[in-house]
Formats: sequence, structure tokens, C-alpha cells
Amino acid sequence: MGEVIVVTSGKGGVGKTTTTANIGAGLAGRGHKVCLVDADIGLRNLDVVLGLENRIVYDITDVTVENCRLKQALIKDKRFDQLFLLPAAQTKDKTSVNPEEMQKLCLDLQEEFEFVIIDCPAGIEQGFRNAIAGAERSIVVTTPEVSAVRDADRIIGLLEAAELRDPMLIVNRLRPKMVRAGDMMSIDDIIDILAVDLIGVIPEDEMIVVTTNKGEPVVMDNASLSGHAFRNVVSRLKGEEVAFLDLDEQGFFSRLWKVFGKK
Amino acid sequence: MLDFINKIFGKDAGSSGNVAKERLRLVLVHDRSSVSPEFLQVLKNDLIEVISKYMEIDEHTLEVNLDSNNENQVALVANIPVKKMKRGVKGAAQ
Amino acid sequence: MTEDSNSSSLVKFPGVGLDEMEEFVDDNTILIQRTVRSGQNISYNGNIVVLGDVNPGAEIVAAGNIIVMGVLRGVVHAGASGDDDCIVIGFRLHPTQLRIANHITRAPDGEEDLSQWPEVARIKDGVVTIELYQTGNHRQGKAT
Repeated sequence: MGEVIVVTSGKGGVGKTTTTANIGAGLAGRGHKVCLVDADIGLRNLDVVLGLENRIVYDITDVTVENCRLKQALIKDKRFDQLFLLPAAQTKDKTSVNPEEMQKLCLDLQEEFEFVIIDCPAGIEQGFRNAIAGAERSIVVTTPEVSAVRDADRIIGLLEAAELRDPMLIVNRLRPKMVRAGDMMSIDDIIDILAVDLIGVIPEDEMIVVTTNKGEPVVMDNASLSGHAFRNVVSRLKGEEVAFLDLDEQGFFSRLWKVFGKK
Repeated sequence: MLDFINKIFGKDAGSSGNVAKERLRLVLVHDRSSVSPEFLQVLKNDLIEVISKYMEIDEHTLEVNLDSNNENQVALVANIPVKKMKRGVKGAAQ
Repeated sequence: MTEDSNSSSLVKFPGVGLDEMEEFVDDNTILIQRTVRSGQNISYNGNIVVLGDVNPGAEIVAAGNIIVMGVLRGVVHAGASGDDDCIVIGFRLHPTQLRIANHITRAPDGEEDLSQWPEVARIKDGVVTIELYQTGNHRQGKAT
């Protein structure tokens, strides 16, 4: 039986879909059989981020209303033989799937795949409840902004209420320079407030825009810092201990700062 | 001296990162305790009513808020500027 | 054909009120006078003519032919009930996916240079072929 992990955030635009795509591609790149599920019905995007939008024939609601078999709706990635996508419906709304159907779907996918990763829609309404219905673990994505962390806190509370304990936190779009200048909340600040386990820190990186434009996950890019950060997330997800990247470009200077900065 | 260095390095308490953290902390105290602004207003009115029996206070600058200490316990913090004590009441109470 | 109460059961426009419904050109063709956007789905048991663009994420499904007098970027399905002879014409034919009857095609991966001319898609010898749209003596479907 595989593992079902939901990627969620509460706030929109913090990088759920990018995270889902990169974790999926990263796991597949390490030889795991992975299925990505786009639960954002009506506003699907995972297909575009993966560059698979022109291969969609059936979608998640076709499976739940039994218009087609589950295998027919799964789209094989063009780079990894082990990576599959179950796309969301674009011309329907969130109510076209219910939590029970999602649960059954996840059970079916677990039989076939080692990892099932669900891209949750923004918000805390039915789309969110659907997305988490079949999940066993959760990843919460946030950015170092007051609004995003506040929403992450709310989501963590809702996940706990739904018996999804110990969410794993990813802080996306961190700008080390701004943190150093005191103009952005640091990882420590965020962890301090949310009190959950950190599984990844992704630096703000223009390569994410470039690779997303092309429909290729940045995790495949060996040169970029964000790609490296996502590969580390994948390792930690597999239970490996990996040190967090030193995002400070000025090594000596930052160490000096740490000494002075102590309370 | 430390303040000076911190200022150079932009790490003083007034830096926007710290402002963000402090604002977030207060917002979350309210979010997590699920206390509504209306509830606080009612509490504030009752406080004014009770305290006014004993002293003259500035109702407009009175502040009642939730905060948290380091152990994440919720604390009710009230800042009540006193204009004048009402001596008569004190005597009557004796 | 006049607008009767049956017309609403034939055409579905999510998010669009009945009063905004397009008028029927004739018994078997509807005219859509707007851009069809992502998430919108137009299905009709006949021909569909769109006077506007069909954006990515939109879907046009017709039992008959589909003509788009604009840029076709979304998903189209002509001959949805199985008619191999149906065609798709677009001012610019850049569909995410193009289906005729039970044939499905998409642009080859990495294809960057998109055509700048009107084109027509039809099934020839069992495969979907796309050609320049020509008028006059080389009328579509009757050429060669």
C-alpha cells in the first residue's frame, strides 16, 4: 500500500502546485511509482506545470462518475515512466466530487502507487475537504508573509481536526538577503509561531518561473538552488536526514551576524 | 553597543521582519482563541462600568487585548489610563 | 427555428444565464458570439460556429462541424457522436487537443512555430490531417 500525501496551504499563490509537481518528479526520479492528483476542480493547473495539458482526455470527475476507468484517466509523464497525473476537471465545479468519492479514489490509487500526492485547492471549503479526505499525511506550504503564515496556522488547525496530525512544513520563496536585512521573517520566526516540523526551505528563484514556463519541474535542474532544495525535500520525505541548505551567499559575514544577533 | 551593531545589521526590533512577526503573533492569539471583536467590546464596556465606580478613567484611550506569553498561554492585557481617583467611593467602602 | 423551451436542454453554458444564450442560426447550427474562456464548455448536437477565440481550458463539443472565427487554443471535439466526416476550421488552429469522432490528436511536443493561416482539420485515411484552408474551386472536402 502506498502513501497518500496532501499538499495544502490555505492561501493561494504560495506554490502548492509547483511543490506538488516537484515532489512528484523528484520521487519519480528516484525510482518511485508516483501519482499526482489535481484536486483543484475548475481551476486546474498541475497539468500545465507538468507540460501535460494537451494529453488530457478524461479527468477526475470522469472517474468518480464512472465515465471511464481509473487507468484511462491517468496521464503518463513525458520524462518519467513512473510518474502519472490524474487531472482535475476544468469545466465543472468543486461540488462535482465528494469526500467519500475521493477516499475511494485514494484507496484505489494506493494499490497501484508508492506515493499519491494530492494538490489541494486554496481555501477551506469543499475543495479542501475533498482533497484531504483520503490523505494520511500532509504538507503545508507557506511563504514568509504574515497573511500566508496566518492561513497556514488555520490550515494546520483544520488538518488536526481532521485527524491529520504532524503536518510537514515547506517555507517557499524565502529571500535570504531580506531575512539578513531583517526585512523578512526568518525560518526560526515561522517555526516558532507554527510549531510544526520543517521539511523544506525553498529560496525565491527565477529558475522556477523559467522551468514552469516550459512545463518542466525545477527539481530536474541540477544547477539551480531551488531544484536542490526540492531534491532535499524528497529525501526528507523518504525519511533521510539531510542538512538544510545554507542559503547565505556570504558565509563568513552571516556567521558574524549570528554571533552578534544572539539575544 | 549591541543595539548599534544590530542597527547597522538591520536587526533592530523595529525592522519590518520583526514587525511582521509581532503582528502575526497577535493575530494568531486572536485566531486561535476564537474570541470575536464583539466579545472584546462587550468585555471592555463591562470593565469601564465597573472601574468607573472607583476611579475616573479615559474611556477613549482604554485598550483591552489578548496577548500571549512565551509558553503560548493567552493573557488578557488591559491598558487603562486613570484620570482621577474617586475618594468618596473609597471612603464609602470602608 | 425559434427559441423555444427545448433549446435550453441542448446547449449548456456554465455560468451564463438563459437570457445570454446564443441564438440559433438554423435547425442544426449555433452561433457563439463571444470568446469562450477557460472552464467554459459548449456542447451542441449539431454544428458550432464561434465568432471569437476559444481559449486554453475551454471545450467545444459538437456532433457536427466546428468553425472558429478566431484563435482556437482550447479543446475541440467535432463529430462527437461518431461522424468521421466532420471537420474543424479555425482562423488560427492552435488547439490544446483536437478530436474528430474517436480520433484524438495534439501538437507534437516542442512545436513552437504556430501557423499564421486559417487551417482545416479532417480525417484522411484514418488519421487527422491539418491543411491550409482554401476557398473557391478547392472547396473543403471536395478538393483533389
